[in-house]
Amino acid sequence: MASALQALRMGALGALAGWPVLVGRAIFYLVALAVLSALWGKVASERLAGALPLPAGGLALYVGATEWIMLSIPSIHLRLEDDIRSGALETHLLRPKLYLVLRIAESLGDMLVRLATLGLAALGLLALSGRSAPAEGLACLAASAILGGVIGLLLYTLVGLSGFWVRRTLPAYLVIQKLMFLLGGLFAPVSLYTSAAFRRLSEASPFAAQLYWPSVQLIAPSAAVFARALALQAAWIAVLSLAAAAIWRAGVRKLLRQGI
Amino acid sequence: MSAVITVQTLTKQYRYARRRTGALGAITGAFAPDFQTIEAVAGVSFEIAAGERVAIIGPNGAGKSTTLKMLSGVLEPSSGQARVFGLVPWRERRALAYRIGVVFGQRSQLWGELPARDSFALLRRIYDQDETAFAARLGRLVEQFGLGELLDQPVSRMSLGQRMRCEITASLLHGPDLLFLDEPTIGLDITAKAAIRDFITEHARGQGQTVVLTSHDTRDIELVCDRVIVINQGRIVVDQPTDQLRRQFLARKRVTLQSAAPRITLDLPGLTVLPSQPHTSVLDVDTRLVRVEQVIAAALAGGGIEDITIEDPPMEEVVREIYLATTGA
Repeated sequence: MASALQALRMGALGALAGWPVLVGRAIFYLVALAVLSALWGKVASERLAGALPLPAGGLALYVGATEWIMLSIPSIHLRLEDDIRSGALETHLLRPKLYLVLRIAESLGDMLVRLATLGLAALGLLALSGRSAPAEGLACLAASAILGGVIGLLLYTLVGLSGFWVRRTLPAYLVIQKLMFLLGGLFAPVSLYTSAAFRRLSEASPFAAQLYWPSVQLIAPSAAVFARALALQAAWIAVLSLAAAAIWRAGVRKLLRQGI
Repeated sequence: MSAVITVQTLTKQYRYARRRTGALGAITGAFAPDFQTIEAVAGVSFEIAAGERVAIIGPNGAGKSTTLKMLSGVLEPSSGQARVFGLVPWRERRALAYRIGVVFGQRSQLWGELPARDSFALLRRIYDQDETAFAARLGRLVEQFGLGELLDQPVSRMSLGQRMRCEITASLLHGPDLLFLDEPTIGLDITAKAAIRDFITEHARGQGQTVVLTSHDTRDIELVCDRVIVINQGRIVVDQPTDQLRRQFLARKRVTLQSAAPRITLDLPGLTVLPSQPHTSVLDVDTRLVRVEQVIAAALAGGGIEDITIEDPPMEEVVREIYLATTGA
């Protein structure tokens, strides 16, 4: 536990040490927010009027939240791929603490710094734009976004672990990205899907637990929605953690037998 | 002395699918792969006693890194047995981790963007080290290795030599009894190499630490190790003390004469004059044909000798001789 906390601290310090990248990410986020906000404001809100009980500018707030989470998740899959392909993993395996736990903790530290930085940038933009967001929605979003980020981190971890078998993680990454888009509600709430079956499938998926459920807190805040989000997120964190542990064990077994 | 490492008929075979040429070959290869097996390590056996400093050397692909990986626990053998401190490395890797330190020359275990001090702090937690004992050990290593000014510098801004000093320090922070060094001086300049060799030798002697080293730099072997295991094509072809190895495989001495005359000419059998500057004569002496004292006596008899140096030939030549002898090339 102490080593994981220290790794988390290292991840946070590493993110702060690379502050120019952090600033660049914040600028990109603000530009993306401005573009998406204009797009949703002009086009979609009229077309979707009545389909979803949304506050004024609700879709822009929703997309701002999903982008906030997406941009805050570090590319742990690239670190894992690099360590597996380069053989650096062997050095880490020669330590008494589990490499995967330390790497996830380190990425979590990085993610928390990004969430804080981008969150402050978004609040600043919100104040400048003259728009408002419900205070209780913001509080629920903050709590749920951290869990959503953890789910995203675990999904990327699974992508990274595919490197044990396919060496390049890009194919798995592209699949996960598209699923985040389709089932996670990256650019619009999954509750907009007209097919009830598809909507239910999306809402129950880990991708929605990562993006939709945290972000919907901002446009439809309620205790029931928040509780449902937390329950789904906790369940998916448990499932994905077990999956990562199982895949990790299988990957290390392969590496021990066949080498890098 | 008790054996720290015991290896018995250790073998490792790799199976891989051979790639076929052309588009059709790529398609058929995907459905009906043509598997081949290569034997990287073919039944090696040896023991290493506590406090020994042993070099495992061999040409590329000889099996030395594979052997080192099996001994450290990141690779399972195909057959055979090995025990390190009584533990089977690939089954008890984590227990063994507390007792070994590992440096892979081309792989960093430090965080690039952060100062080395932060990486060391994480390593303290990873190895469950008591804070006071850890601080004392770090202090000693920092002093011995002259790391004072480097501790708070981001690792990515260090030179390769500085980084390698920090890497070795990182591998010693938990006080391991056994150090595995895989090419620890690769890519370093002469000064950095010398600093690392001196440090490893002094530290290992002082702590009674066992060192197992692989290197292509023969000076690493000469200056750090007292025993050499030569592996070629997965088999041990030589296992003996470094001095004995040099004597057995190269019955030569190198005699350098500084003289008033531009050149010294000696009419003796078994002498080869090597290229050199004026007033310096470098003679390669085959001691099977002529004794070194005969060469010295003949040189002194001619007069005008200002200085004489007698050296063993470079280890590189020793190794080359061994490879040639053992491969029959």
